[in-house]
Amino acid sequence: MQSPFNTERLSRELTNLMERTRDRQLRLAVTGLSQAGKTAFLTSLVNQLRHAGLEAQLDLLPAAREGRLLGAQRLTQPDLGVPRFPYDAALSALNAKPPRWPEPTRGISELRLQLRYRPAQRGWLTPEFSHLTLDLFDYPGEWLLDLPMLAHDFDSWCQAQTQHNGVHRQALFSAWQAGVEQLDPAAEADEAQLADLAAAYADGLKQAKQAGFSDLQPGRFLLPGELDGAPVLQFFPLPDIGLSIEQRQALPENSVYATLAKRFRYYQQHIVKPFYRDHFRRFDRQIVLVDVLGALNAGPERFEDLSRALQQLMHSFDYGQRSLLTRLFSPRIDRLAIAATKADHVTPDQHSNLVRLLEALLAEPLKDLRFADIPVKALSLAAIRATQAREVNQQGQRLAALYGTTLEGEEVLIYPGDVPARLPDEQFWQQQGFDFPHFRPMGSPHEALAHIRMDAAIDWLLGDKLA
Amino acid sequence: MTDRPTDNSTEARPRPRRHFSLDDTQADSAKPPGNETEDALRGTRRFDTQTAHQPLEPTPADHKALPEETLYPPRKRRWGLIVSLAGVVGLGSAELVTGIPAAFEQARWLDAAWQLFGLGLMSIGAVALLRELARLKRLKHHDKLREALAELPQRSPRQAMQQANALRRQLKLSDDDPHWQAFQHASQPHHSSEDIMTLLDYHLLAPRDREAQRLISRMSGETAIMVAVSPLTLVDMALVAWRSLAMINRLCRLYGLELSFISRLRLFRSVLYQMAFAGASELATDAGMDMLSLDVAGRISARASQGLATGLLSARLGLRAQRLCRPLAFPPEQQPRMTDLRQDLWRQIRRLDTQRSAQPED
Repeated sequence: MQSPFNTERLSRELTNLMERTRDRQLRLAVTGLSQAGKTAFLTSLVNQLRHAGLEAQLDLLPAAREGRLLGAQRLTQPDLGVPRFPYDAALSALNAKPPRWPEPTRGISELRLQLRYRPAQRGWLTPEFSHLTLDLFDYPGEWLLDLPMLAHDFDSWCQAQTQHNGVHRQALFSAWQAGVEQLDPAAEADEAQLADLAAAYADGLKQAKQAGFSDLQPGRFLLPGELDGAPVLQFFPLPDIGLSIEQRQALPENSVYATLAKRFRYYQQHIVKPFYRDHFRRFDRQIVLVDVLGALNAGPERFEDLSRALQQLMHSFDYGQRSLLTRLFSPRIDRLAIAATKADHVTPDQHSNLVRLLEALLAEPLKDLRFADIPVKALSLAAIRATQAREVNQQGQRLAALYGTTLEGEEVLIYPGDVPARLPDEQFWQQQGFDFPHFRPMGSPHEALAHIRMDAAIDWLLGDKLA
Repeated sequence: MTDRPTDNSTEARPRPRRHFSLDDTQADSAKPPGNETEDALRGTRRFDTQTAHQPLEPTPADHKALPEETLYPPRKRRWGLIVSLAGVVGLGSAELVTGIPAAFEQARWLDAAWQLFGLGLMSIGAVALLRELARLKRLKHHDKLREALAELPQRSPRQAMQQANALRRQLKLSDDDPHWQAFQHASQPHHSSEDIMTLLDYHLLAPRDREAQRLISRMSGETAIMVAVSPLTLVDMALVAWRSLAMINRLCRLYGLELSFISRLRLFRSVLYQMAFAGASELATDAGMDMLSLDVAGRISARASQGLATGLLSARLGLRAQRLCRPLAFPPEQQPRMTDLRQDLWRQIRRLDTQRSAQPED
């Protein structure tokens, strides 16, 4: 590498190191599968912090309530090779006529914010104003699901992929299934055949995503980016082939099995690992966004699928107590929020049920976190509120309702239905099921975005650093 | 065929086995537990956009909110006192009233005048007594409000808003008071009752807290100085008692409590009780600091250190009274501490002492 680049990089690293020593820099992991609301959350976060000193409604954030938080500014991001988070584009989409949701993320982007605040207690050494640097980054949720692949080798991955297939899911993969059953793992690899099967597999994944499934690996099949058509994306899991490990190892280099395993390893080492190393290793705080309502709409099989995907995902992060040493050399997440997004799509009295359902969904990871003694807060939030909570008087009864505009542009006054506090049984799904409507944003130019409990989330994630 | 076990239950709680026949399942209210969710969950419901609707007040009403009985042990009624008082008032006024016509008939004007005078006195006494009782009732009302506010996190948001209104009335804030307005502006329909409590604490009570803090600091400082300069021990004692009562009185008024004579005594008693028992542990932790500051006081005159000790005691009394009067208990981390007050006191006494030692004694 060139030397100027190196010195520049070195000075950047040094500044970061100093900031981290003083604990004035935080890296926030906004984790969520696709459609969970990451971009909306980030847009709203930046927006709320920008407006914090002025008209943003952040009453549950003590620093803002007490008027100590003066606002935030976007700084030039540390890594110039990564695109900037398209905040302005997202905001103009929200304020367009008619308003629309920001475009789904198709690549990685970064953002660095500097928060300025007055410390709560003035001592001898505390300055009048302090600042906190917040590093955020956005990425396609599809790619996130690749992280658990790092823990597998090809055999165990094949096993894991074929283990949990429900009826619906199998139906979506039937074309690929039919092809792969004809395939002899020991035969010589036929490139065209493998490409066709991989295409069928990718097609199955896309259909499964359409149908609301979440546990979809490999993620680049769904959103290949610049890798479209490369051989590295032409592999797929092999169903149980009935060979022992030794027999498999002994298969020739050009056999179907060996080719697929090689491509899997390449994918793991050259696509997933850099993604993980560059973006996912160093986090201090994390918020996990889950679209619980979407999963409820999709049905029980998808719900379990989501639960499993999240459970695998949470293993990819380092959790633990922070100290000066770990902060500098191996950052860990010492505080975590799990949030059910799109809380504005149900009436406020259902929010507590939404949170309980979220806790049920994440029951297994929560146990691990409890074991590691990491404080976790579960909350329901709407990063960008799209509805107004109203009350309808009908036949002498006062009923809660939502007033908003659906994606199709129809104004509705609706009670979206109860949210169960735990997952209902099979019979209920067959008889009733859920149908929570989707709304489009309200559009509020020149004002802070309306939200639900963003302030509580910010307080939990950053509040202790703003004291 | 006719019997159906209900073992398809998904509930964690085990239930005893029950047998149903197929034809009575319709009539039986106890359905298999699997169907419960079906009743509990309401489906999508669309309203016409033209239907009259207003902003949603937090969550459906549930009016039987607060428990009737309080946590306080039931007070013993002093029946003896009540009977004797009522007897004296009733019989005495009967005696006096019946005496008046006779006195007029026999033209004993002085007797009549005395009897009227006695009646007047009695009615004044009765009115005073009734007023005391009314104010005692108000104190009880305050206790109730405190309890209700302490239970806020368990209540629905709508009930929490009702309690917030009760607190506003208690603090004698008008509808367009800026603090109340700020609270209303801050509260949102999706806030839980805990959030409402936090906001109440910040918007309505925090300003009063600051005022109370200033009051305690000022009055205990003044007490310290008075004791430091007064020449007689007896006067000291009277001063301290008088000023402490006055301080408690003002603190109460600050938090919207109106005190009568008896209720003031009762509050004073509970403050002392709190200090003697509940505050004992806190005293132990604080004692070290107190001793230290008194040790530092070794460098000032004996009078000044006496004043400092009295001031510390008075400040402690004030903090206790504040804690008792405040409608919402302090969150643990916001509890006002002696440390800040101690610094203040020390500074005041120190200034006084240096001034005094600067002047040559006569």
